[in-house]
Amino acid sequence: MSYELVAGLETHIELSTNTKIFCQCTTAFGGEPNTHCCPICMGMPGTLPKLNKKVVEYAVKAGIAVNCKIRNISKMDRKNYVYPDLPKAYQISQLDKPICYEGYIKLSSGKSIDINRIHIEEDAGKLIHERGGTYIDYNRGGVPLIEIVTEPDFRSIDEVLEYLEKLRLIMKYIGVSDVKMQEGSLRCDVNISVRKKGEEKLGIRTEIKNMNSLNFIAKAMEYEFERHVDILESGGKIEQETRRYDSELNITESMRGKEDADDYRYFRDPDLVNINVSEEEINRLKDELPQLPDEKMHVFMNVYGIPKDDAELLIKYKKIAEYFEEASKDIKNKKLASNYILGQIFRRLPTDWEKEECGISIPPEYLSELISLIESKKITSSMASTALEKMLDSGKSVREFISENDMQGIDDDVLKEICMRAVSENQEAVESYLGGKEKAFSSIIGYIMKETKGKADPQKAAEIVKEIIN
Amino acid sequence: MIKKDEVLKIAKLAKLSVDENEIEQLIEDMSKIIEYADSINNVAETVDVEFDNINNIVNAFNEDIVLDSYDRDEILKNREGGENGYFAIRKSIRG
Ligand SMILES: [Zn+2]
Repeated sequence: MSYELVAGLETHIELSTNTKIFCQCTTAFGGEPNTHCCPICMGMPGTLPKLNKKVVEYAVKAGIAVNCKIRNISKMDRKNYVYPDLPKAYQISQLDKPICYEGYIKLSSGKSIDINRIHIEEDAGKLIHERGGTYIDYNRGGVPLIEIVTEPDFRSIDEVLEYLEKLRLIMKYIGVSDVKMQEGSLRCDVNISVRKKGEEKLGIRTEIKNMNSLNFIAKAMEYEFERHVDILESGGKIEQETRRYDSELNITESMRGKEDADDYRYFRDPDLVNINVSEEEINRLKDELPQLPDEKMHVFMNVYGIPKDDAELLIKYKKIAEYFEEASKDIKNKKLASNYILGQIFRRLPTDWEKEECGISIPPEYLSELISLIESKKITSSMASTALEKMLDSGKSVREFISENDMQGIDDDVLKEICMRAVSENQEAVESYLGGKEKAFSSIIGYIMKETKGKADPQKAAEIVKEIIN
Repeated sequence: MIKKDEVLKIAKLAKLSVDENEIEQLIEDMSKIIEYADSINNVAETVDVEFDNINNIVNAFNEDIVLDSYDRDEILKNREGGENGYFAIRKSIRG
């Protein structure tokens, strides 16, 4: 019997504001333990939290970018639980009036993953387990988060991974988070259940908490799916519970069962006033949003004629996508610009980080100038490649390496003369070519390119050479 | 009237231990509190209670500008144990 996976996601994203959500301590990552703290984020009695305006703006922007409706009036609630990473013994979050609701993200298959809600909340401190003890650093306590909750719309691990990649890219494009998974600024809880294929009713679900790597999420889901199927196949019953993924053993294990089911006794936080976001404000924030990755993809493919795989590579790094747009703005053959970026230029940016930062030594106008020289047939593409290497080495423009004289191209008569010389100087190659060795031909063309310092059009040269020897 | 198992559940959530002989008194006290709080249900609802503005204030915001945090010695002043600038968790409440 084959089973179907059913999953939903809760994704926590740390917002890249300067200050914490209810006080003006810094949100900077790292820092000596407990040095980014004040009475408000330490939950001392008698302190009054005040919401960071940027948090509201970022949450609304995130909502608009994933097609959510925005609530004009929302409020903050207290979620009560006792755990040492939470100094107040409650987390300030949103329960029944989240700031954004009913959105979706479209996967490449055309399938929509529905987003139930996005709400604002504060992060907890960090527990450090070492030398038999447990220690706490509250620097992260009070850092603003948004939690994006989907419907149980996922039917495969691949869908989950694609959704997360898309979500990450969108958040990066709109600049509300750096979404660095290794620093924990994107963390996921996954709800999983299984059911026999064709069945309507959802199975009993378990929740795997707090994962911050796509690789771990995939492995944990795979393990949990098989665990569910094994239990059902052997006639057992799934217990609704919260589990954690152990990446070293590659298993999930129970954290707490149903008998300790959460009872958060939510109630409105009386210290915080309503949040009003007017339609004008929403429109203003909408206007501030940049073009989103999906729209860019559409333009790159359908307007600029960039193949899908190439367009995906350009869009994966926001700054590279913008560099490409700048460089190809005034040229007809936009694919040529894409080819130079993904080829010669990417070779100099081997890591993701370097591509992310777009550390290209020449401004996009220089690349644009180089390509327009090819388009106007003033230089050949082999001249352009050589020049581009020199440009990237020095950060200088093409004019530094190719003179007006070089750009004249080669007079047809001169080219013919050089071709004739090439034939007479490379008799061996000519004979073996005539004897059927195709490869020998390229050494004749190589000779011509060398003689003309790359200025000859290799195709034209090939035609002339063939004319001469046949 | 609040029930015995409800008292025990609340005690558990609050991580309090309750002696058997305290329960009767707790049931009585807590029931009175709830009864008192319930009297608010009798007030006519003329406004959307959910969104009634506290003192008519909305959007009291901080600007996103970093100010100095507290000196760490001040923050750690009341801690028990701990080292290297960390708080330590007593074994009895470790999660
Ligand atoms: Zn603070």
